[in-house]
Amino acid sequence: MNDSRNWVQVAYTGDISPDTGTLKVMVGGEPVCLYRLDDDSIHATADRCTHGNASLSEGYIEDGLIECPLHQGCFDIRTGEAVTAPCKIPVKVYPVKVEGDAIYIAGDAS
Amino acid sequence: MNCNHSQGPTVVEAPIKINRRWPEQGFTRIPAWVYTDEDIYKKEMQVFFAGDTWNYVGLECEVPEVGSFKRQWIGDRPVIMVRNEEGDIAVIENRCAHKGAQICWENTGKVTDFTCPYHQWNYDLNGNLQGVPFRRGALGKGGMPKDFDPKQWSIKRLRSVNRGGSIWATFSDTAPSFEDYCGPEVLAEIDHMLPGKKLTLLGYSRQLIPSNWKMYLENLKDPYHATLLHSFYITFGLWRADSKSECIPTGGGAHSVMVSHNEGKKKTEATAEMERFRDDLQILDAETVTPRKEFNRGRVGGAWIFPAAQFGIQANSLKTRHVIPRGPDAHELVFTYYGYEDDDEEMTRLRLKHANLLGPAGFVSMDDSEMLKQVQSGVTGYPDSVSVVEMGGRDTEPTDYMVSEVLVRAFYKFYREAMEL
Repeated sequence: MNDSRNWVQVAYTGDISPDTGTLKVMVGGEPVCLYRLDDDSIHATADRCTHGNASLSEGYIEDGLIECPLHQGCFDIRTGEAVTAPCKIPVKVYPVKVEGDAIYIAGDAS
Repeated sequence: MNCNHSQGPTVVEAPIKINRRWPEQGFTRIPAWVYTDEDIYKKEMQVFFAGDTWNYVGLECEVPEVGSFKRQWIGDRPVIMVRNEEGDIAVIENRCAHKGAQICWENTGKVTDFTCPYHQWNYDLNGNLQGVPFRRGALGKGGMPKDFDPKQWSIKRLRSVNRGGSIWATFSDTAPSFEDYCGPEVLAEIDHMLPGKKLTLLGYSRQLIPSNWKMYLENLKDPYHATLLHSFYITFGLWRADSKSECIPTGGGAHSVMVSHNEGKKKTEATAEMERFRDDLQILDAETVTPRKEFNRGRVGGAWIFPAAQFGIQANSLKTRHVIPRGPDAHELVFTYYGYEDDDEEMTRLRLKHANLLGPAGFVSMDDSEMLKQVQSGVTGYPDSVSVVEMGGRDTEPTDYMVSEVLVRAFYKFYREAMEL
């Protein structure tokens, strides 16, 4: 891929826990959560829930949603949309690319 | 009993038995133990505050925006008044469904939802449980049972009504409508003070008075003391024994309406007999006590809405009083001062200025809190003593004069029956 975005390698696909489907990494001092969904696609969002002080990497993935471990509010992993209460504010989504088994994310979040 | 259900008050214990005998003279006597006995206090909390009564919670203007809340108590039960997402006012228990902790620790504020600090159970503005931490466990272990249903663990929302901008709530499913509970006389007083105009909050004063809560209730049902205890009134001849007044017991004696007419300063036989009346002293700033004409009736007084609220007007000061019992020998007293949205600047200034008569350091009210402390000390030391309330006779009929304890007699007639004493 030849674009101007600042891609940073953050992990290898094998680092994402097969049990939880999540991995918390630090990017530029910010915690980011990586996800592997059932279709093996890789995604990334800010790791901190927009409602309470919780790490989404400790949450539960179901049907493309990440359920926060604190209050079971859900976000759409692909879009960051807050889907169920008490979450109301969308979570930041990062662009992801995979080359070989290396995962890159772009710092300029969408 | 189904333990899977948190709804409803948890009063399932047997009625509290009181091993006391009321003096044979009936409601013209008050035994000292009504102010000191722990069991009496517990029964009052159960029968009155948690029973078939409507309780003052606050004014709508105190919670102007979605998420604005006010912490409050109904008897000894903590509750929260909050404006929900629908824009309505909800009154919910301030008690986490998990371990019972108060979920709200601040008197007022604004939130998006409530989270108990203990285990972070999270509730929406109507008290519905939204989520609990570690519901699915941590690292694949533990968590709540699969059949844990958050809907079963919501915080109870009380029945509540909004009357002219005042919010009232009851724990009871069997209490009559608020209108029937108040009756026409009390409703007329509330509607007079809250005529449907939007209200503006002007402020609060709060104090802890070291006396039984009923002493404050009695004090507001007793115009007899006003011309004798309150030297501010007496010195400047502002409220006298010959002032035109009415004492009207309503609601079987539970509520009352008390009206006095402010007719300006004058000297008559009744005032001449009061030794502290001082013709030679003049209030330098007469505006302190002089209302700007409003309502077309120069009346002072208001309504006691049982169990623990009073709505009244003092010159131009509009306020609610709310009594929060704090055990048999203490209560908190909260004045909430308000005005109307269409008040001009001058009127707002007068409403605030006349509030100087009230509250912990009020020119008038400060005597009451000091006096009630003295009464509590007296009755506590002599638990078998009785007090006598025979001023104005031994009956409970309404009067058109002030020197009367009829409202106190009517109250204890109601009280004995309700408390089965």
